[in-house]
Amino acid sequence: MDEAPEILVVGAGVSGLACARELARADWRVRLLERARGVGGRCATRRVEGQPVDIGVAFLHGRDPGFLSALDEVAGARAQWPEEIRGTGRPCQPEAYQPGERRLAFADGVSAFPRHLAEGLDVRCEAPVEALELDGARPRVRLEGGAQEEAPTVVLAVAPEQAQRLLATAASPPPAVASVQALLAMARSDASLSLAALYPAGRPAPPWHVSHPEASSVLQLVSHDSGKRTSPRHLALVYQAHPRWSREHLEDPDWPDLLLDEAARLLGAWARAPAHRHPHRWRYARTARSDELAGPVLTRLPGGGRLGICGDRFARGGGVEAAWLSGRALAGRILAGEDG
Amino acid sequence: MSEGADALERLVERDQDHECNGYGPSRVCVRVVAVADLPTRTGPFRIVGFWNNRDGKEHVAMVHGDVVGEAEVAVRLHSECLTGDVMGSLRCDCRDQLTEGLRALLGQPCGVLLYLRQEGRGIGLINKIRAYALQQRGLDTVEANQALGFRDDERDYAVAAHMLKSLGIRSVRLITNNPEKIRQLGQYGVDVAGRIPHVIPPNEYNRFYLETKARRSGHLLELAARRLPEQGDPVVVAGMDGAEGLA
Repeated sequence: MDEAPEILVVGAGVSGLACARELARADWRVRLLERARGVGGRCATRRVEGQPVDIGVAFLHGRDPGFLSALDEVAGARAQWPEEIRGTGRPCQPEAYQPGERRLAFADGVSAFPRHLAEGLDVRCEAPVEALELDGARPRVRLEGGAQEEAPTVVLAVAPEQAQRLLATAASPPPAVASVQALLAMARSDASLSLAALYPAGRPAPPWHVSHPEASSVLQLVSHDSGKRTSPRHLALVYQAHPRWSREHLEDPDWPDLLLDEAARLLGAWARAPAHRHPHRWRYARTARSDELAGPVLTRLPGGGRLGICGDRFARGGGVEAAWLSGRALAGRILAGEDG
Repeated sequence: MSEGADALERLVERDQDHECNGYGPSRVCVRVVAVADLPTRTGPFRIVGFWNNRDGKEHVAMVHGDVVGEAEVAVRLHSECLTGDVMGSLRCDCRDQLTEGLRALLGQPCGVLLYLRQEGRGIGLINKIRAYALQQRGLDTVEANQALGFRDDERDYAVAAHMLKSLGIRSVRLITNNPEKIRQLGQYGVDVAGRIPHVIPPNEYNRFYLETKARRSGHLLELAARRLPEQGDPVVVAGMDGAEGLA
């Protein structure tokens, strides 16, 4: 484990984990550097009052056979979920998932998937990367606090905006990196303000798993989170705001209250007053379908090192499936010795 | 199907119950669903519409003469390029390649142009426009283009191979300057009996290829080299170095 890594992966979300796992399977020494305390990124489950609540991705869905079999390898109870879907959202919103896709939820929360992917990998959590050096023979990353790590290949598996910011820290970026930066700048991620709300026991559960309100410019999705749990103590709902509303209210400290006001308007006055709440700001929640790219980036640096970029924008179909596919595709290109 | 249905029209009826294991890794399968006469500025053709099981792309074949059950049919593959084919863009030579491809077929006893709806070779129109925007900024876009999707798409060949099979074509003479296309089609079981070089007559727009080739250096050559490989076929203009050898 303490041997110098051959690959450094910045970001231990699903994409970075999928990439690292594939490389580790081929006996490469891989180290992941993750800013947060745990793995998974937006595939996130928090315990609120002891009950698991999915505060990012509400459920997993996809059609790629490789992705589906990766989901099958995860231990623990699961269910086809959501089965009851109410509403179609506003007409301008794309479908979250396509008919014919498999969809499922884990009883322990969606983070069971990234935790499974991370098994056996060298993951350093609470290791935020703040700068890159790309001009030496080996690309280097500098961590907050000054520590440095280096490897012949560095992979950025973070949101495109975060990758852009890291690339901007590199002194005199080579032309290939400048073109990648221009590519990243061509689209931006949607934000999502999300609020997990737990209601007192006894509150009747709604007759749907997921609701896409048609008549709201605030709420994009309400997930009946406790509907995924085997014996939930609380009714848990997760409210996700529309991309535009989220962007406009990112810095508004009152957004959780505004979201609950809207929930009360749509569901009934009871929804206004949860017993417990857990707000989360996803600044880079998802990529619009029109901004999807076809594949990951892998470029040779002048000093001989390689720089890879993967994430849900770098594959078709969006979401966790695209994140996983792009990570695996990048690992495939690294293993094949490709670079641009 | 009516009494007088010809060989192409009978394919529609035949394919109503078509089942197969699909072609290529994504198991793509196509069916002939519509046939009609299509007079064009280049000459008279018949157009055959195909449905496929993987996406909403409606691929078509432009057919000259009787091809069903024939061997050594002249075949040209053309990937959809809205900017070139329709708008007459000078960022590529797609319109010339298309028009000259159709014209070349008319000079043969029979032939087919497969018009594959893989805009920008599968990357989609919007990402192609993004690629142009990067190019316009003078950036070395190789890796960015790869992320945008410019690459050889295996599915092109799987679709093409299935379309040729659906048309009952026994063997083909491929109109191309790219031997890789012959190999790829061969992998999907197409019997490639020969190759016809694809040579475009010079005109005011592609004359710069001739000039750059003649100079063998300089800015123009760089421009040519930076072009996106939309048709996956090296441009050969009559009069250009090497064109005689090919023709």
